[in-house]
Amino acid sequence: MNSGIRAAGLLALIAVALPAIAHHSFSAEFNDKTTITLTGAVTKVEWFNPHIWVYLDVKDAEGKPQHWQCEGGAPNTLVRNGWTKNSLKQGEEITIDGYLAKDGSKTCNARKVTLADGKNVFAGSSAPTAK
Amino acid sequence: MRNTSLLSCLLLAGCIASGQPAYKPPSGPTPRTASGKVDFSGVWQKPYAPDMTKVGGADSKPMELPFTEWGLGEWKSYHPEDGDYTGACLPFGLSRSINTPEPMQIVQTEKYFTLLFEQNNWYTVVPIDGRKHREIDPTWFGDSVGRWEGDTLVIDTVNFNGKTRLDTIGHPHSDQLHYIQRYSRPDLGHITWEVTIDDPKTYTKPWKNTRTFTLRTDWEMMEYSCEENNKSLWEGRIKIPKQ
Repeated sequence: MNSGIRAAGLLALIAVALPAIAHHSFSAEFNDKTTITLTGAVTKVEWFNPHIWVYLDVKDAEGKPQHWQCEGGAPNTLVRNGWTKNSLKQGEEITIDGYLAKDGSKTCNARKVTLADGKNVFAGSSAPTAK
Repeated sequence: MRNTSLLSCLLLAGCIASGQPAYKPPSGPTPRTASGKVDFSGVWQKPYAPDMTKVGGADSKPMELPFTEWGLGEWKSYHPEDGDYTGACLPFGLSRSINTPEPMQIVQTEKYFTLLFEQNNWYTVVPIDGRKHREIDPTWFGDSVGRWEGDTLVIDTVNFNGKTRLDTIGHPHSDQLHYIQRYSRPDLGHITWEVTIDDPKTYTKPWKNTRTFTLRTDWEMMEYSCEENNKSLWEGRIKIPKQ
């Protein structure tokens, strides 16, 4: 995992509002002290409740793909705000700012998803403060 | 409230990035049923309340809760990584269902006031025809009855099973919780909502939250399956609490 993080050049310590999740407690799964920035190509988007999941391949220092998965918001909320399951396409290069899972897996909670042209999609997963 | 709404918009929904126009609820007088009662029917947007001590919104200073010794112990010993019942898709219970950012629809007749929660598609049906609480086993959502105090509908709920939390952050309650909601509708577009948390086992005195719900004429309720893609549970990052 460490190589994947380094390859993306990352681990930003940004003071931002925590993404909170209505479906479950944020701190049950993620660590709000460990932020991460991942850049890679989208391999899959799962558009189902209770959360969307974005899968991406992040190249490590040797150029080998590291498979990451990041949790987003609830599809219902995203749809109400104009997003669809086609807002993000397979193969698209994206950057995800998020929080690492506590279990050490290549899993994150996506706070921000940014396309190569700088446009944000899905705009974070939820509202703040429920650690 | 305004700051909370803006923050929710930015973080929860991405309203600006997606170019969605700002929503304005319809204006007009308080609607009434044929019998003259205030009619609360509609799809309502509720502010997300993951921490009920922050009554002024996510950035507000938290109020201090009047814990009993038992309540403080429950609060200090709560670690959701050891077991998260909502993460496991068990019922949210009444308080956390109302606290979610997902909308709820109110369906009202002369006899019943029904809250349809989009979160996990749960619901609760409240008789408002003057009957008393039922003598039944405790439940996740408790037993509710409603009564009118002028134009305010008071919903009184007891008989909780004590397996839920008041909010996402995990403030506790016991099976002695008496959850009292007060609904009023000052105009067409808004509900003023107040809840009193009265739980002598957990808190030395009752405490309150007040919120504003907004009528969403542009929203319809949607299906929400908690179980469909709950990867976090299946992959072991969220655990089922021990009962």
